[in-house]
Amino acid sequence: MITFAFYLFAVLITGLFLVTVMSKNVLYAMTSLAAGMVLISGLFFILGADFLGVVQLIVYVGAVMAVYAFAMMFFDLSRDVEERHDKPWLIFLLGGGIALTLVVMFAAPIMGEAVHALYPPVAGATNPQAVGLVLFTKYLLPFEVASVMLLVAMIAGIILAGKKMEISLSAMDEDILPDTKENA
Amino acid sequence: MMEVTYLGVIIKAILILAIISAIAGFGTYIERKVLAFMQRRLGPMNVGPYGLLQIAADGIKLFTKEDFIPQNANKLIFMVAPIITAATAFIALSAVPVFPDFTIFGIFVPSIAADVNIGILFVLGMMAAGLYGPLLAGMSQANKWGLIGAARTAAQFISYEVVTGLSLLAPIMMVGSLSLIDFNHYNETHPWMVFMQPLAFVLFLIAGFAETNRTPFDLLENEAEIIAGYATEYSGMRWGMFFIGEYANMITVAVLASIIFLGGYTDLWFIPGWLAIILKIAFMFFLMLWVRASWPHVRPDQFMWLAWKVLMPLAVINVVITGIVIMV
Amino acid sequence: MSLEQFKNRNVGTQNYRMLDLDPTPVTGWDKFKQVVRRSLSLELLVGLKVTLREMIKALFFGKMHTTKYPFEKLPIGPRYRAIHEMKRLLESGHYRCIGCGLCEKICPADAIRMDTHYGENQRKEVSEYTINFGRCIFCGYCAEVCPELAIVHGGRYETASEQRASFSLFEDMLTPIDQLKNQKEFPGYGSVSVQADKNIKKTPLAY
Repeated sequence: MITFAFYLFAVLITGLFLVTVMSKNVLYAMTSLAAGMVLISGLFFILGADFLGVVQLIVYVGAVMAVYAFAMMFFDLSRDVEERHDKPWLIFLLGGGIALTLVVMFAAPIMGEAVHALYPPVAGATNPQAVGLVLFTKYLLPFEVASVMLLVAMIAGIILAGKKMEISLSAMDEDILPDTKENA
Repeated sequence: MMEVTYLGVIIKAILILAIISAIAGFGTYIERKVLAFMQRRLGPMNVGPYGLLQIAADGIKLFTKEDFIPQNANKLIFMVAPIITAATAFIALSAVPVFPDFTIFGIFVPSIAADVNIGILFVLGMMAAGLYGPLLAGMSQANKWGLIGAARTAAQFISYEVVTGLSLLAPIMMVGSLSLIDFNHYNETHPWMVFMQPLAFVLFLIAGFAETNRTPFDLLENEAEIIAGYATEYSGMRWGMFFIGEYANMITVAVLASIIFLGGYTDLWFIPGWLAIILKIAFMFFLMLWVRASWPHVRPDQFMWLAWKVLMPLAVINVVITGIVIMV
Repeated sequence: MSLEQFKNRNVGTQNYRMLDLDPTPVTGWDKFKQVVRRSLSLELLVGLKVTLREMIKALFFGKMHTTKYPFEKLPIGPRYRAIHEMKRLLESGHYRCIGCGLCEKICPADAIRMDTHYGENQRKEVSEYTINFGRCIFCGYCAEVCPELAIVHGGRYETASEQRASFSLFEDMLTPIDQLKNQKEFPGYGSVSVQADKNIKKTPLAY
């Protein structure tokens, strides 16, 4: 049953992400990417990592993809995207290289014999507890650094977006407007 | 305890689907009646006794109405979007316990369809995924009102998921579990969570109204501003699916609030647990209609202001204070 | 609802009250203070209280506002000006119309059509009289111009019908002969004066 579910999810995820890459329509690409993210959380559920699955759902599907969608509203969605390729061989080389590296990286633990879990699951701990134990012992420093980075990014975003928020251009007289005509 | 069989799960899933769909239909009737009474009107009266068959009439109308797809719309996405809304609403309900465990025909029936031990997060995640319904609907229909509705969907859902999560964090810290069943057991030995976390309750209610797209915050389809928002081009059963999804989400939020904050399905004085939770859910549902009858909409800028400058700081302060109290 | 209450639409004599609103806050801090004040003073709950009060009033104290229209009807004014009525002479019961054709001429919508002929006793009689209610704009000119008070507006306001002919014939608008006693007369411009009977004199036949 689990094997069947895994292969089903794997095929579906691969297919959906292929649509993301191949499709010329922005809306199809976004939708299939989101659907793929949902199915990845399904993989987590199969592995028994309920917590990670739900986090995948909330963070990637609920937040990250929604922000993508927000940006996508500036496009004309009914028109196909025309891609420009100056050097197709370079793209092929780089993309293929990265793909190969990734496959080698993730295939290595399957082949290798010496790989074993540094932090075996604590007996009796539920899913979120196990994640919390690892997160607040071994990985406390990276965790904190990541959160500080997020804070920095947030403050930077607020400053960038809110620089001239107090001035309303539409409420100003046309004469006082800071030379928009010259720039145009 | 008997083992959970696949057959049992399937039967339960079908039951939940059927019952919640029926309740969602009945909810429209209740909503129209309650809103009418609060304006001293009668509401639907002519179809059947007290207008009860109005639901059937509306259902027949929805099913037989022309299913209209605009010419420039992205047809596939346009057709899929309402299904996403309805599906996520029902999937979220699968992890919510509604009744105490009971035994019927000698078969033990647990109160929950899918007993994931992170129930709250699952429900929140599913409701977060539910944002794709309105979002894709608005973006695919080649209509400017729809697009504005979709933009508001993204803004509203992302902002208020933060508030929902943070407001629930304090109760989660007190219970020390993410399972909704543990929340219910916690209420058996302690006073109701609403008395210990009143601020979290208020925040959760506000965010719940926003996530279910109910009136003070129904900016996605605010007919005074953007016609019907994301649902502008929808008709017939596709629109009906948005409707059912919205009502199912309302029920989910009502159940969540009842279980987390209002004592769940524990026995209350002489009232048995199953009746108590039905009363609580009914009250929460009534509260949503009551609020719709009483309060005006907010403006979108006020809405975001409320989320990020008022509710989120309050939720964070609440979490910090709860943490300090637990530590000391 | 009594008629006087229904007709009182004078804004200002009713119980309107102006809200005493605070000045709109400008700075962020003022806005914040306003939100805190409004949230903590539980103004929102007042709104909830109002709707609940209305609901209880409606359900338990019989203050429901709805009129179930086809079954119940609101009172209309006695001089309501809807579908026309043709009046009869009170004494003889003969219809008042003398076939002068003024209403047909004055009708701005060209809705009235009439034919007359000489009757048995050398009087002009109406042979055909129709009002096309698909065109009638209810301006009231026909009633105003009528020298005999024969055509007036009546209180029949439900103008839906399967066929136009079903309410546009002379006979349908004419007061039924057995209802003659209930035929209403109103004083005012164009009506028979109060002392009309006294003013009647014998026709001088001296010449």
